Amino acid sequence: MTEPKIPVDLILAKLAAEAEKVQHRLKKAKDILLGPLNTDIAITPHEVVYQEDRVRLKHYRPLKEPRLKTPLLLVYALINRETMLDLQPDRSVIQNLLKEGIEVYLIDWGIPTRKDRYLSLDDHVNGYLDTIVDFLLKRHRLAKINLMGVSLGGTLAVMYAALHPEKINNLITLVTPSHFDTDKGLLHIWMKEIDVDRMIDTFGNLPGELLNVGFLLLNPARLVFDKYVGFLENMDDQEFVENFIRMEKWIFDCPDIPGETFRQLVKDCYQKNLLIHNKMELGGKRVDLKKITMPLLNIYGRYDHLMPPEACEPLTRKVGSKDTERICLDTGHIGILLGAKGQKELVPRIAGWLKDRDKKNKTLKPSAKKEEKKK
Amino acid sequence: MEQDQQKLPIPEPLLAAWIKWTMDFWEALAQMGPSRARTSVTSAASPQGVKRPPGDFSQLALRMWEAFFSLLSEPRTVDAVFKGIKAPSEITLKMAQTGWEGYFHLHRQWLAGGGEGEALGFEDLDKDTFKIWAEIYERDFKQLLNLPLIGLIRFSQEKISRGMAKFGQYQAAMAEFMYLIYLPMKQSLRVMQEKLEEISRETELSEDFKEYYKMWLKILEGRYMILFKSPEYLRTLSYTLDALEDFTLAKQELLADSLKALSLPSLQEMDELYREIYLLKKRVKDLEKILARLGPA
Repeated sequence: MTEPKIPVDLILAKLAAEAEKVQHRLKKAKDILLGPLNTDIAITPHEVVYQEDRVRLKHYRPLKEPRLKTPLLLVYALINRETMLDLQPDRSVIQNLLKEGIEVYLIDWGIPTRKDRYLSLDDHVNGYLDTIVDFLLKRHRLAKINLMGVSLGGTLAVMYAALHPEKINNLITLVTPSHFDTDKGLLHIWMKEIDVDRMIDTFGNLPGELLNVGFLLLNPARLVFDKYVGFLENMDDQEFVENFIRMEKWIFDCPDIPGETFRQLVKDCYQKNLLIHNKMELGGKRVDLKKITMPLLNIYGRYDHLMPPEACEPLTRKVGSKDTERICLDTGHIGILLGAKGQKELVPRIAGWLKDRDKKNKTLKPSAKKEEKKK
Repeated sequence: MEQDQQKLPIPEPLLAAWIKWTMDFWEALAQMGPSRARTSVTSAASPQGVKRPPGDFSQLALRMWEAFFSLLSEPRTVDAVFKGIKAPSEITLKMAQTGWEGYFHLHRQWLAGGGEGEALGFEDLDKDTFKIWAEIYERDFKQLLNLPLIGLIRFSQEKISRGMAKFGQYQAAMAEFMYLIYLPMKQSLRVMQEKLEEISRETELSEDFKEYYKMWLKILEGRYMILFKSPEYLRTLSYTLDALEDFTLAKQELLADSLKALSLPSLQEMDELYREIYLLKKRVKDLEKILARLGPA
């Protein structure tokens, strides 16, 4: 066998040339890392307008006069935090929606503790979510509001819209799984295998730490290795460092998930795939997707490894609505919210779609109108 | 005190055996010079005659261990060791012998296994070390932790033994899981080495390290995807989670005793309370809704 022709002399010469650059980079990196860094997340001004137990409702006012009469309620997943929607000032879904003149409300599910272990999916959908919708209807004197769910928060929104169609004007699902019987995403494969009863009976709630590790395992080459190589290469760039730390703050900030909620989600959705077959039940009521008769916009990412297109796409065909639209963007799960392509396309398309349908909404409830006249 | 020390016999057979092991070990090591290592392509330890790449340092290490442990596992060596220990209790002797035998068994199996990670698939992991270790643990060590306990504090001792047993199982499962996670790394480096050899045969290697880094990363990513979809990974994941849950429960049991001693409620007691509060709140909320629907009285 011939010896490989490795150009050692060239490599050494290049290393020597690089050494000076590296030294300069390290010096700059040291100044940046030891200096003041702005790594705050979720900084868009807001006020908490409603709170029940650990759940809070954040209200964001548009930067100009609202262009839509109907506000948009955002429901994020119970996995990870809603701060993803407002992670960095220049790439914030919330700020982009406000710029489009949309009044935004965002549910912050809070940090579940051991006492929340018995809270079920029904408590989240027909309990907290329904109470918040009622609060908003009353606050805005509306008959219906616009609802948008993100990731598994979208699955909750779908369940809600099917059970309470009379309160929802338009439904938007973003990277939302509804068809769980697919082997395209690792999460879908793994969830089928876990003994969720054993897990929840042991831990009470699903520990967030376990989820943090699980998410890293979805792509260790990129998330455990390459990501930090990228950080070392760019640590002399203040903006990169700040955004990198923001992402680190978010990614390892997964709260525990209430035990009974997780149990039902895994068993009914991931293992039995009941939702898409209209067989799922919440609080004794069947979730019938045919009852989703309001306009539906279903957006997902072509390269989403967490909620693959196969899991998101079928919803549009299964609902009762005649006004449905499907948008598949060339991004991944996080990229759709933070990536350049997602930033450029996502919010403008949502805003445009909502504006077209906002005119059709009968907003003022007759009773509320009368009450207002009395005042 | 000094008298006691003087009374202690010098374990001559043990010392002699140790010297002999050391000599034989270094002799065997000396025989594995670089010239031999380069020419040896087939592992003598492997009955199947598994081919290893020339210059594979793991082969050298394996042969060293083989020499070392084959010496240790000889019956006369074991006898020498135990003869050197005066008056051990039966239980200690049994435990030590079990551990000793198990350890030799593990290494014999490992050496006979032909080396893990040889293939680029994950389907042959049944043969690997962690499985053997888990079997030995189940067969020998766990039994010792399950010995019937007697006396006033037997309940507490049982819980401690159970905790230790579950911890052992969890450690074994975790080691296997971590090993599985490490395998794609090892495989990707091997594939990368082969690729580099191939490239260097055809053309001169590029001096841009990043190009190779990207190539390796792609291989690594691919290897992980194959692993994570494999039945072996799913089995190991379930096994590790089960072991973690068993250990967590055993820990909670132990903790409950301590909490009781401090007059503090256990997790189970708190859970019962949480459940009652949860049900009460639910009823109150339902009643509130009914009242709201009925309107002001």
